[in-house]
Amino acid sequence: MGSLSHADEVQLKAQLQDAVGACTERCLYQSAKWAAELLNSFPSSDDDGSDTDADSPMSDRMPQTPGNRSTKDAIETRLEARELPKFLLAKTYFDAREFDRCAAVFLPGPLPKGSVHLGSSPATKAKQPLKGKAKVGTPSKQKLPAEGMPGLSQKALFLSLYARYIAGEKRMNEDSEMILGPQDGGITVNKELPGLSAILEQWFEGLPGSGRHGQGWLEYLYGIVLTKGKNEKLAIDYFVRSVHLYPYNWGAWQELSSLLGSVEELHEIAGKLPQNIMAFIFHVTASQELFQSTDQVHNTLGQIMSIFPASAFLKTQQALLHYHQKDFDEAEQIFSNLLVSDPHRIDSLDQYSNILYVMSMRPKLAFLAQLASTTDRFRPETCCVVGNYYSLKSEHEKAVMYFRRALTLDRNFLSAWTLMGHEFVEMKNTHAAIESYRRAVDVNRKDYRAWYGLGQTYEMLEMHSYALFYYQRAAALRPYDPKMWMAVGQCFAQIGKYGNGIKAYKRALVAGSYYDAGVGSSFGSGEGSGLGGGILDPDVLYQIALLYERMGDVRQCASYMEMVIAQEEGEGLEGFEEEVGNGVGVTMTTSRARMWLARWEYDRGMYQRAMELANEMCQDGMEVEDAKALVRDIRARIEREKGDARGD
Amino acid sequence: MAPMSRYLTPQKISLLVLVKLYCTSQLPSSCTIPVLSFILTHSQTLPPVLSVARAQPSHDSSYYVSFPISAFEEVLQGHAFSMPGRTLLDVFLEHMWKLNSFDALHSLFDSIGGLLAGGDEDGEHDANPDRIILSRTSPLGSFVRRARLEFTRLQFVSALKLWTSFIQYRAPTAQWTRRIAGLAAIGVDAVAADIGLQQGDALYEVAYGHLAEEEDTDQSLSVDDFDRLLDFQLDQLQRLGCRVPEEMRTQLRDMLGPSGVVLRQSHLVQFFDAWKAGDYTSAFDNLHRYYDYAMQTRDKIHYQYALLHMAILQADFGCFGEAVAAINDTISTARENQDMVCLNFALSWLNHMSKAYPKQMKGVGYMGMLGTERDGLTFLKTKAREAKMWNLLSATLLNEAKLCLSTGDSVTRAFEFMYQASHLNIRENINNNGSVMLLTSTIYSRLGITHLSDAYCHLLLLVYNDTSPIDERIRATCRLAFNEVQTGQYDKGLARIESIDQSAHGVLKFRQYIFFSTGLIKLKRAIRHTDWSACESYLTSLKPDIATDPELSFLLQSTHIEYLIARSLFSEAFNTIEDLSTSLKEEGADILHRVTLLLLKADMFRKLGTPERGFSVALRAASVAYKSKLIPQLWIALGLLCNILNGLGEFGEAMRLLEAIVPQSMLVEDNHLTGILYSHLSDSLIGLAGQDDISTSHGTRARSTHLSNAEMYIDRARDCFKKVEDIEGECEQLVKRAIVAKLRGDEQLSEEWAQNHNKVWEEGRARIEGGK
Repeated sequence: MGSLSHADEVQLKAQLQDAVGACTERCLYQSAKWAAELLNSFPSSDDDGSDTDADSPMSDRMPQTPGNRSTKDAIETRLEARELPKFLLAKTYFDAREFDRCAAVFLPGPLPKGSVHLGSSPATKAKQPLKGKAKVGTPSKQKLPAEGMPGLSQKALFLSLYARYIAGEKRMNEDSEMILGPQDGGITVNKELPGLSAILEQWFEGLPGSGRHGQGWLEYLYGIVLTKGKNEKLAIDYFVRSVHLYPYNWGAWQELSSLLGSVEELHEIAGKLPQNIMAFIFHVTASQELFQSTDQVHNTLGQIMSIFPASAFLKTQQALLHYHQKDFDEAEQIFSNLLVSDPHRIDSLDQYSNILYVMSMRPKLAFLAQLASTTDRFRPETCCVVGNYYSLKSEHEKAVMYFRRALTLDRNFLSAWTLMGHEFVEMKNTHAAIESYRRAVDVNRKDYRAWYGLGQTYEMLEMHSYALFYYQRAAALRPYDPKMWMAVGQCFAQIGKYGNGIKAYKRALVAGSYYDAGVGSSFGSGEGSGLGGGILDPDVLYQIALLYERMGDVRQCASYMEMVIAQEEGEGLEGFEEEVGNGVGVTMTTSRARMWLARWEYDRGMYQRAMELANEMCQDGMEVEDAKALVRDIRARIEREKGDARGD
Repeated sequence: MAPMSRYLTPQKISLLVLVKLYCTSQLPSSCTIPVLSFILTHSQTLPPVLSVARAQPSHDSSYYVSFPISAFEEVLQGHAFSMPGRTLLDVFLEHMWKLNSFDALHSLFDSIGGLLAGGDEDGEHDANPDRIILSRTSPLGSFVRRARLEFTRLQFVSALKLWTSFIQYRAPTAQWTRRIAGLAAIGVDAVAADIGLQQGDALYEVAYGHLAEEEDTDQSLSVDDFDRLLDFQLDQLQRLGCRVPEEMRTQLRDMLGPSGVVLRQSHLVQFFDAWKAGDYTSAFDNLHRYYDYAMQTRDKIHYQYALLHMAILQADFGCFGEAVAAINDTISTARENQDMVCLNFALSWLNHMSKAYPKQMKGVGYMGMLGTERDGLTFLKTKAREAKMWNLLSATLLNEAKLCLSTGDSVTRAFEFMYQASHLNIRENINNNGSVMLLTSTIYSRLGITHLSDAYCHLLLLVYNDTSPIDERIRATCRLAFNEVQTGQYDKGLARIESIDQSAHGVLKFRQYIFFSTGLIKLKRAIRHTDWSACESYLTSLKPDIATDPELSFLLQSTHIEYLIARSLFSEAFNTIEDLSTSLKEEGADILHRVTLLLLKADMFRKLGTPERGFSVALRAASVAYKSKLIPQLWIALGLLCNILNGLGEFGEAMRLLEAIVPQSMLVEDNHLTGILYSHLSDSLIGLAGQDDISTSHGTRARSTHLSNAEMYIDRARDCFKKVEDIEGECEQLVKRAIVAKLRGDEQLSEEWAQNHNKVWEEGRARIEGGK
């Protein structure tokens, strides 16, 4: 799919144009914005040329586009034409943010009462989708309003139900307590959901018999409703249906990706998806969100970007991929360029601020905060940037204030929950921290930072076995992050499962070498030696050694201690690339290892070796006192042995 | 428009930079004092008393609050830095431009904490002995601490606003020296420069684009500055009783208007302004508005002050009934809230009012809270002592002194009270000196020592001009003018009154006072000129009403009587005198006023040609005046008595008496009085000459001596009358000269004097005509 032919490109443009219109009509503003952005990110040189000949394909684009296939549907067209005035009325109400009034244009009267327990009970989550479906469908009296519904086009139905949904969300926000206030349990629900669910359920039941075809929109809405009801399997089904019927609704893709909890699920679902450009973009985004920055993803992204070279969205994805890969400079560079090319864009600036935070670029972070807050003070992203800045300045109270504001603006703003958790940890307010992290995890189970934070907080509370669970979740999300594995190993060590601890640490070594080498090729080499990859983290090695010592396996311990020292010069890398060949140099850890080795050698009588090591320590200038004492001891022993020998 | 910042302004940031520079780098010792005094003047950590004392009148008060960046240049330019070839300004600007990003601003505020003693625990500052460590309570230390605190309290957006206004503030310095040109070339923001942004780039425009548009420096004032500004205005308004000058008002409005900040004090300022402008309704409106807002933030404790203000306001506008009701409320509320300060003040005020406007206060049913006046004063005195309200005590002492004077008690007691008050003023640093000066001047003028009275008025105007209320300044000026009028310098007096600062005219009360004083002087001159039509027109406009100053209203009434007598409307004059004297008796008025009335009555009889009828009156006046040491009145009374003696033919006695008092009366510097006395003396001499037996040579000689002496005194009297432009008196003396010449048998000379008389009279007439 490297580059598109001219005709294809023209067609793609037409489809995107159509998508903008369709999404706007249905008041899906974010999707419309996304599509429009993409529409404007084709290579600029082509724009001049296509101006003239754009008309010819435009005329015959109607039959081609999949989105319009359903518009061609005679029933829908007729219905839409009939209710156009009312539809316009409803649309204007929606635009004026009078959601209830908008819904009432087509659906006067209350919605049928569905099963209230549809989703909010955690039991349904585990149940079979069919069962949940049956549960909703059981009340028979709800059939009544359904009779009137065939008289509505799908577009009108979508708009009214969507308005209902939004109205419910709005009310839910209004009912919610202050963020992390005493009453704020995050359990306020959208009260419209059961009714919506019932109607949509019926509609889809009646669909096969009515001779009508779904257009993708109602499927999308039903997917959302099901997601809110934690009926995720079914929701995924409906989203897949939706993107099949209308692929250019980015919202559907987004919802779909947020439902995927692991790479396996992504691979599983990939087969069911249509093969088009949207699916590729989806794949990249989903991979990014699952922290999969493999070459394949990079390649795919590169190809898509060759079609949309100016797309800020794709650039952001690219930067985030680099970020996940800990290639901060590259990520920072991309974001910085994005900032210059589109100064008013606030989307995902919070991610950028995370990068700057990690890189400790305070002035730039301040500048970013300045920029964001000049553009729009009341965007959750802005608040997050400001919060990050204060956090970097160690003004944690202020940081919390801004994260809290971000959450007040958008309760589902994931990164704010996590970051607020970090701040609470800094402020030693563990309970608040746990709650924040928990809420973050509830919003998005893929956020490893929140899992990791939870683990850390419980570790602060000395609840190691409890923390282990969270670390494991985090490690599962980021299998190639040594930090996660180290945390897991540490927990294992704390609760006395040394074997498991060692395993976890070895994973950390592997993961570390994987990242340091920059490529995944060395991954999978023998865990035992751990020297297959690039430079190894001496700390981890040292920890492993200590664990072996505790297990009583002194020999293994010694070999790992040797390895720690070996990292000083990067000995294990002979024949490997030059640039990664330099070792870590003398550090606290290596000195400690050397000390341990020296003592060990001393204990088993290898005075010469012990002497060597102790002298090295004196040279390095670390723990000189201890080393000198050791040297004295060794000399005494050697003298005595000599004396003994002479005496003999 | 974003709201005003609470405290921090670009100026303050610049000052902090300077403070930091001062503390961390070795400044040459020569510039320590200028730099420190500059910082202190502008950082406003000094107590207000000091800053008032230091403030040059040429500078607007807002100058201190918002000063341009060039102020730094003026101070720092002249000092060389320890590095050769660099001025302090260079170093300062370098530091200013090192603040090259928003983050650097944060860092500045983080780092200034290290300047304070105990700011960082790790004893890091021992490393550098050159560093100056600020004590936390020193002026600089508290400035730094306040700035830090305020910065911490700033919301991100406000901090951002501060940063941009700082950039604006700093901008003009970019071109100042070549050295910083390099620093400044990076642009305002190093981060932006790193990304490679230029002015005009879209991103740059987002971040700093608004800089170019916002020309106005509304950020250069913080709410705190504004508070101070308004407090200063209030202080001026309350202490001096003036109005907000027009230019200041527009300036304030400009500053307040766009920022959208409504400060409580601004209502109070408006209230005082409206009050002084005589705008009764807006004054009430604003008073209520202020206290409505004040209630919201403070406790109800301030309710009594609202009532107190209201009472004063009502009384000021002549609504005594409402005023008494309000003050009664005040007293009860203050009692309820245990607010002794307010209570005592209210009582004192009430006491003052019943003294100043006795008739009006009685008219609305005020019977006196504290029994007799003296009891009241004693009560207040003890209360003031108990509550340590030195201000009130001082005022009460002065009131007691005034009471002593007005009841005709011994002057020494009055002096005693006054000196007590004066001592208190000095000891407790009470700003009550204006009243003391005025009272001293009054006492001396009652004692007939006019030049001392003048001296005290001058003292008030010269020394306490800035600190005493406008009211007192105007009184002093008018008193000086009246004294000048006594010597006949009408134009000088008028000019003096006219020279009063125009701002005083903005206040209705002062305007009326000035108007009446001017009118009074003009009326007096018209009477002396016998310009009756002018007198009538003046008199119609000079009708005192209820709210007029009681002192002035008496003067107006007595001058009216003088006019009636001079115009020979005797029955009318008599009735007026009788009415006035009964009302004065009812009020228990000042002894001076009553004596003056007696004298007027006696004078009327003299004018009537039957001086004997005024004998008892004049005698009584003389004895009272003597007892209560009203020296000028005593001389007048004695003059009248001598006239009576002359009329009775007791020329010798009259002459002896007059010769005794004339030299003393000179002290009063009242030319009219002196003229009258001389004239009486000449009368006595002529009378003696008439008694001389001309048959003997001795008698002839004695007569001619008497006559020539009489001629001399006539001439002197004529001079005096001429000085005060009293045409009738002058003509009378000319007639006397003519008669004396005739008596001597020199017809020709007599004829000459007669012609002279006619000429003077004609000139006088012509003057009146010309005046019209």
